[in-house]
Formats: sequence, structure tokens, C-alpha cells
Amino acid sequence: MPTEIFTTLEGLWFLLAGVFLVGYALTDGFDLGTGILTIFTNKDENRRILYNAVAPVWDGNEVWLIAGGGMLFAAFPVVYAASFSGFYLAILIVLWALIGRAVAFEYRNKKESPLWRKTWDWIYWIGNFVPAFLFGVAVGNAVVGVPIDQQGVYHGSFFTLLRPAPLLMGVVAVFMFLMHGTAYLLRKTEGEVFQLAKKAAYIGFFGYIGSLIVTDFLLVITAPYLYSNYFEYPLFWIAPAMIVIGLILFFKFLSSEKYEKVIYGSTLTTIGTVLTIAFATYPVLMRSTINPEYNLTIWNSASSHITLTVMLVVTVLLMPIVIFYTAYVYRVFKGKVSAEGGYH
Amino acid sequence: MDLLTLSRFQFGMTAFYHFLFVPLTLGLAFMIAIIKTIYLKNKDKRYDDLAMFLMKLFAINFAVGVATGLTMEFEFGTNWFQYSKFVGDIFGAPLAIEGLMAFFLESTFIGLFLFGKDRVSDKMHTFAAWMVALGSTLSALWILIANSWMQTPAGYKIVESPQGVKAVLTDFFEAVINHSTAIRFLHCVDAGYIVGGFFVMGVMAYYLLKGKHVEIAKVGLKFALVFTAVVSTIQIVFGDIHGYQVTHTQPLKMAMMEGKWETEKGASLDLFGVIDQEKQETKVLLEIPYLLSILSYHDPNAEFKGIKDLVKEYKEYAEKAEKQIPVLEAKLKELEKNNAPQEEIEKVKAQLAQAKAEAKAYNISFEDLPSVSLVFTTFHLMVYLGFFFAFVTIWGLWLLKRGKLYTSKAFLWTVLLSIPLPFIATNFGWIAAEVGRQPWLVQGVLLTKDGVSFHPTSNVLFSVIFFLVIYTAIYIVFFYAMIKAIKKGPQSSNSENIPPSTNPAQVTAFSKTKENL
Ligand code: HDD
Ligand code: HEM
Ligand code: HEM
Repeated sequence: MPTEIFTTLEGLWFLLAGVFLVGYALTDGFDLGTGILTIFTNKDENRRILYNAVAPVWDGNEVWLIAGGGMLFAAFPVVYAASFSGFYLAILIVLWALIGRAVAFEYRNKKESPLWRKTWDWIYWIGNFVPAFLFGVAVGNAVVGVPIDQQGVYHGSFFTLLRPAPLLMGVVAVFMFLMHGTAYLLRKTEGEVFQLAKKAAYIGFFGYIGSLIVTDFLLVITAPYLYSNYFEYPLFWIAPAMIVIGLILFFKFLSSEKYEKVIYGSTLTTIGTVLTIAFATYPVLMRSTINPEYNLTIWNSASSHITLTVMLVVTVLLMPIVIFYTAYVYRVFKGKVSAEGGYH
Repeated sequence: MDLLTLSRFQFGMTAFYHFLFVPLTLGLAFMIAIIKTIYLKNKDKRYDDLAMFLMKLFAINFAVGVATGLTMEFEFGTNWFQYSKFVGDIFGAPLAIEGLMAFFLESTFIGLFLFGKDRVSDKMHTFAAWMVALGSTLSALWILIANSWMQTPAGYKIVESPQGVKAVLTDFFEAVINHSTAIRFLHCVDAGYIVGGFFVMGVMAYYLLKGKHVEIAKVGLKFALVFTAVVSTIQIVFGDIHGYQVTHTQPLKMAMMEGKWETEKGASLDLFGVIDQEKQETKVLLEIPYLLSILSYHDPNAEFKGIKDLVKEYKEYAEKAEKQIPVLEAKLKELEKNNAPQEEIEKVKAQLAQAKAEAKAYNISFEDLPSVSLVFTTFHLMVYLGFFFAFVTIWGLWLLKRGKLYTSKAFLWTVLLSIPLPFIATNFGWIAAEVGRQPWLVQGVLLTKDGVSFHPTSNVLFSVIFFLVIYTAIYIVFFYAMIKAIKKGPQSSNSENIPPSTNPAQVTAFSKTKENL
């Protein structure tokens, strides 16, 4: 492994960026994954269970995204500015979808009418499916490369983002979240929803493997530079290994009906997926297809050492506290959920 | 419309919208936490019912606050590319800390607070309420630190980097504290308390007028009245301090807020006026002599600088900085040739970058000024409303003392109809503050027009329209849900005393929250 990951501020911030991505994927993954299932059951009761499974925790989960965005802004401002303005419409679509999701939680049950509820259920579904997909597409674009110039100004259009490889990475992301969300449901639900989750878990599993293999082939051909790190630093293979072990565990626990444990498999797979991409792109955060010299790397896009140090201290002090009370709240809500309660 | 105008409109609109919900969150969270604490002390069920009822209204409001806050976080990057690059080193930090320190706290405990009543003890539930209040206050603190740095930048230097000129941090605490954070925080959070206070008073007055839920409404009205009386009176003091601060740090903004074109000695405070931006004059309808000089400088004869002189001064300042550039460049060459110590070279480099930035940022003219009339009007209305709030609450206290509070139709109707006014005051305050900061994005450092993103105007036009549509839709739904919940009123829990569940795996524990929500 390149030692500068651990010995320089920029390297440490690369790791921390990874921690935030993993934190988001693992926690909001529950919401995205369970949310994708809502339209696959018609019963109001089942849908309510799907909402209730995440109702007490979804907002905290989403903060990983907000805090992660803030971290990106603070640690690598050029990347924050270049990606958010470059991917303008895509980012706003994610934003609108997430706004819809947030509002749907609170307002869906305010009225008994089926039309009202169906409308919110669709908004909720879009609010989970679209971000899950577009996060994959956005990460895919950043690592595969986009037309940015020396100043970080983006010279493409919305359609530049819709190339096969990044789109496929969006599909991988959807299946990954589906695996993780269903694994969560296998712990939290019973009855029909449980049966639905079981089916969806298999779909997520095979879908993930299938789309990952296709993506891999495509990337070998179109973006071979993403593989060079793996030849240079053998230790990086830990990440793909995590995916494989995670998948094996997932399948083993699922098929042997140890439903409480399936989540270990999806957790490992999710961490492995994020790290695999991070290690592939290191030290580039946003690749330029105009000229490799314009790549935004952790070296040329980071903030000053003062800022990085301050933020490192703040993060190291606060992160354990956050994890402590988050774990506490998850514990309070341990156990199976029912259709009752939730937002009214 | 051009890209800059559209981007400014979009940012202003989304911030305005976010801030329709945020102050109510700030106020309600704090009030609920206090009410829950009172309940812990006196075990009077009415307080618990009141708190649970307000919590329901809080949840309706909070959802939209969160949804619209997300927009704000993204928008710096999407619409203000050059700005984000320029200030990221400094401005990004408070935003990130806000997420870590405030949003996690608030959003995690809100789950416990809304859904956990039957799963945790009363004490823990009250603790959760306090954590939500603390989280929202910390969130206000860090976002206001970011904003205050834009108003009164400190603790930074300008450098040139491969991706362009930017500001970098030199002293974190100086940047955080700067010259306006403390008072802006106090004034702004207090504004949230006023919003919350009037909201609760108004809702309780509604029940008293209708003769519904009278017992709880009396408790609620009395509590909210005392609370609001304190916070609205303090606000006048905070406002005065804030104004004093602005005069000294952003004199051009203050001149616009007061509609003063000419420099005056012993300046009067103009209570009403009509501004003519073309002719650069203000037709004063009513004035109090000397008061402005007293408020701004604590001296009746002090000189108050007008807009015309200030713009001229800034221009001269820009010219001076312009002249510095070749001098500094020559000095830098000299130093580099003589292999001077790196430290000295860096210092001159920083001076040069600063001079370049100032030559650009201070080069302003009358065309760059925002609508003075907008700044003047919004500011004045806020101040009048501030005095109105204090007056209303004092009237209420007087009625309370005479034992007529719950029966005075005039008072009850006044507070009911006043519910929207604090929302208007807070947002007008922000318009005065933000539009008044123009033409700068970062006061004296970066012009607004130099902060915008590069993308096709059609992109932003599309997003503006889309924002207008979904925000309007959300507002209608919000309004509908709020009115419905208020009409339904507090649910009395006396009939069913559910013991808190101790078994976390209990399947039905969730269902019990139904009645309490
Ligand atoms: C209920 C709301 C409310 C009320 C009653 C007042 N204000 Fe205010 N005011 C705000 C809510 C507000 C705010 C939260 O909207 C602002 C915007 C920026 C800020 O820091 O607070 C503000 C800004 C603001 C500013 C501009 C600060 C800047 O440029 O950054 C001044 C000078 C004052 N206020 C002064 C006053 C005075 C003299 C008041 C007399 C009673 C007053 N305010 C009442
Ligand atoms: C929540 C209350 C706020 C309201 C109602 C508000 C309102 C506005 C308005 C009306 C504008 C447009 C000004 C113009 O273009 O003439 C604006 C601009 C802006 N504000 Fe705020 N603002 C708020 C808070 C903040 C905060 C807390 C920040 C920073 C952390 C901020 C940063 C900006 C930026 C970056 C712009 C864009 C550039 C500009 O036009 O000045 N605002 N805001
Ligand atoms: C004076 C201006 C502002 C204050 C006092 C403020 C305060 C708050 C508060 C108290 C909340 C909690 C939710 C709610 O209010 O209902 C919130 C939500 C949020 N605000 Fe603001 N805000 C301001 C402006 C901004 C700006 C300019 C940004 C952009 C960075 C922003 C970003 C957010 C985000 C991302 C959330 C959602 C957090 C969550 O999920 O809990 N806010 N804000």
C-alpha cells in the first residue's frame, strides 16, 4: 500500500472520504434498499411496514450524505465545486428525489385516501431508486473521467454523463443497496414482507454479481487505467476480496435460513465495493478526459494544511460520539416492526 | 434573464423557503424541551399532552426543514462554482462541522423523540427533546459562522493556486469568531424563539376562542406568553447591538438600510421614506433627529457616511490597490533574484494576491448596488415588527396580571392573526442582510458576479422553474397537514396509561405510539 495514505494529511483525508462514503452506503443503504421494494407489494399494510422499518432512523442516515458533502467541501473544495456544478442536473435530480422522500415519510399517512397514498408511494419509490442509481452513475463518471479543464470547469452536457460504464455502475449500486436493504428487512420484519425480502435478496444477489461482471469487462476495455493500482499495490486486493467474502456469506446465510446474519454479508460487500473503487482511482478524485494533467487529485485539490488539520481533529473527536449515540438509538428500536405507528 | 440573476434568484428563493421552517424548528424544539422538563418536575399531565401535541406539529414542520436544507448544502457547489473554489478552504469547514456536530445529533434524536416514547423512560424522552433542541441550535451556530464569515471575513489570506486565486485559512478561531458571529447568532436564534412563541400563542388562542381543549390551551398560552415576552424584549437589545456592529463592519449596507445617500453629521433616523434609486435620493416622510448618529456611534454629532461617499471611497481604495500591484511585483522579482528567505517571498506573494483581489473587489460603481429600496423597506419592517411583538406580549402580561388573559377576545384574536408576522420579520431581516451585502458575496473580497458557476443558462432556468413547482406543492401539503393537525388538537392521554415498554423486541410496542402521536 502506498504509505502516503497514512503519513500525509491528504492521504488521511482520502481515507476519511472513504469512511463517509461507507457510512452513507451502510446506513442510508437500509432506506434506499427497503424503499426500492415499496412498489412491489400492493397492500397498504405491507407498505407501511416498509416505511416503518426505517422511519425512526432514516434522517440520521441521510446526514452521512450531508456531512460527507460538507467534508468534501472542506477537504477537497475543488472537487466539490467541479463535481456539483459539472453534474448540475444529475445532482439536482438526486436532490429533488431526496426531498420527495423526506416529505413522503411525514405526509403519506396524513390522509386515508388510496390515491393520496399511492401518489406518495411513487414519490417515495423515486426518492429511493433514483438516488441509489445516480450515486453509482456519479461515482462512475468521476473515476472513469469527464471533460474538465485545468480550472475544474466541466465542458460536457448532461448526456456526457450517460455513458455505458458509469450507467452500469449505477445498476451495480442499485443491486448493492437492494442486497443491503433486504438483509435489514430479514431482521426487522415477518410475514409477507419477510417473504418479499427473501425473494428480493436473491434478486439483489444475482443482479449484483451479474452487473458487476459486465461492468468489469467493460472497464477493462474502456478504462484500463483503473486497474493499474492493483498491479502496483498488491495489498489493495483486500477490497475485492471483501466483496467476494461478503457475497459468499450473504448466500450462505440466506440459503441456510440464518436470516439474522445475512446482513454481515451485505455489509462486507458494501464496504468492499466502495473500497474497490476508491483504491482503483487513488490518488485521483475526479479524472479529466481532456488531459491527464488536469486530473483533480488529492494533492492538487486539497485544502490548506491548517484546514485539513483542524477538520481532522474535529472529526476524530466527534465521530466516536456520533457512532455511540447512533448505535444507542438503533438498539432502542431493535426488534420486528409492524404496520401500526410510524408517521401520522 | 442572465445566468447570474437566475442563480441569485434561485439561491435567495431556496434560502428564503428553508428559513420559513427553520425558525419554527428552533423555537418549538426549545419550547417542547422546557415543557417536557416542567412535566418531569410537576407530573402535571397537561404539560405532557401539550408537549406531545406540539411534537406532532414539530414533526410536520421538521420534515420540510430537512428537505429544504439539503438544497442549501448542495447549492454552493451546483450554482456557485467559483465561490466554492475560492472560499472552500474556510467556508467548507463550518458546513462540515455543522453536519458532524449538529445534524447527526438532531436527526438521530428526533427519531427517538418521535417514535420512542414507549420504549424509553420519561427522563430519556425529555433528554431526547433537549438533544433535538441542542442540535438545531448548534446547526444555527455553525451555518451562521459560515454566513458571518461572508459578511465580515477574518483569519484568512489570499493565495494563488494552479486552479485560480483563493482564500485560505490562517487562523481558525479568528475566522470562526470574526466580527459578527456572536451577535448574529444571538439575534437569529432569538428570532426563532419569537417565531415559535407566537406560533404556540396563536394556536392556543385559537382553542380558547373556539372553546376547545381549554385546559391545555390555558397552560400553553400562559407558558408561551411568558416565554415570548422575554425573548421579544431581548430582541430589541440584540437588534440594537447588531445594527451597531453593521455600521462599523459594513457601512455601505447600513447606509442602504437607512436610505442615506449623503454623508450627514448628526444624522436623523428616517422612520418612513420613499427611495428613488435613479435620482439617488430618499424622500423622508418622518424622521427623528440625531437618533441615527446616537445609535450608530453613541454620539449625537457623529458623522454617518452616505452611499455616495462610500462608493467613491471604495473606488479610490481599488485604485490604490491597483497601483500597489506593479510595486509588489517588482519587489517580488527583486527578492527572488536575490534568493531571499522563502518566508519573505511568501509574505510578498500574499500581499500581491491580496492587492489583486482588492483591486477587483472594490472596483464598484452605482450600477452594482442592489435595490436600496428593498433593503430599506425590509429592514424597517423588521424593526417595526420587533417593537410590535414586544408591545403585544407586554399587553398580554398586563392581561394575565388582571386575570383577563383567557377571555380577552381582542388579545386572543391579535395573537392568532399574528402567527405569520414573525416569519415575515425573520425573512425580511435576512433579505436586508443578504441583499444589503451586495455587490459582494464575501464582503470586500469577492464580488457576487465573480462567484457564479459556468453552465448553460437553460440549466438554471429549468431548475428555478422546477424548484418553484415542487416548493409550492410542498407548501400546500404542509399547510394542509398543519391545519388538519391543529384542528384535531391535543389528544388527552389520561384514559390510557401505557407503561413504558422494557422489552425491546416487543412486537406491538410500535403500535402504541399511534395514539400518542
Ligand atoms: C423575529 C424576527 C426579528 C425581529 C423582531 C428583529 N429581527 Fe433583526 N434580523 C432578524 C430577525 C429579527 C433575522 C434573523 O432575520 C436577521 C437576518 C440576519 C441576522 O443575523 O438576523 C436580522 C438582521 C438584522 C440586522 C442586519 C444584520 C446583518 O446585516 O447581518 C439588523 C441591523 C437588525 N436585524 C436589527 C434589528 C432591530 C434593531 C430590531 C428591533 C426590534 C430587530 N432587528 C428585530
Ligand atoms: C436562511 C436565511 C437566509 C435567507 C432568507 C437568505 C436570503 C438570501 C437572498 C435573498 C439572497 C439574494 C441576494 C441578492 O442576490 O441580491 C441570498 C444570497 C446568498 N446567500 Fe443568503 N440567505 C439566508 C442565509 C444564508 C446563509 C446562512 C448563507 C451562508 C452560509 C447564505 C449565503 C448566501 C449566498 C452564497 C448567496 C448567493 C450570492 C448572492 O446573491 O449574494 N445565505 N441569500
Ligand atoms: C440562518 C440560516 C440557517 C439556519 C439557522 C439553519 C438551521 C437549520 C436547522 C435548525 C435545521 C433543522 C431542520 C429544520 O430546521 O427543520 C436545518 C436543516 C438543514 N439545513 Fe439549515 N439553516 C440555515 C441555512 C442553511 C444553509 C445556508 C444551508 C446550506 C449549507 C443549510 C443546510 C441545512 C441542511 C443540509 C439541513 C438538513 C439537516 C438534516 O437532515 O437534519 N441551512 N437548518
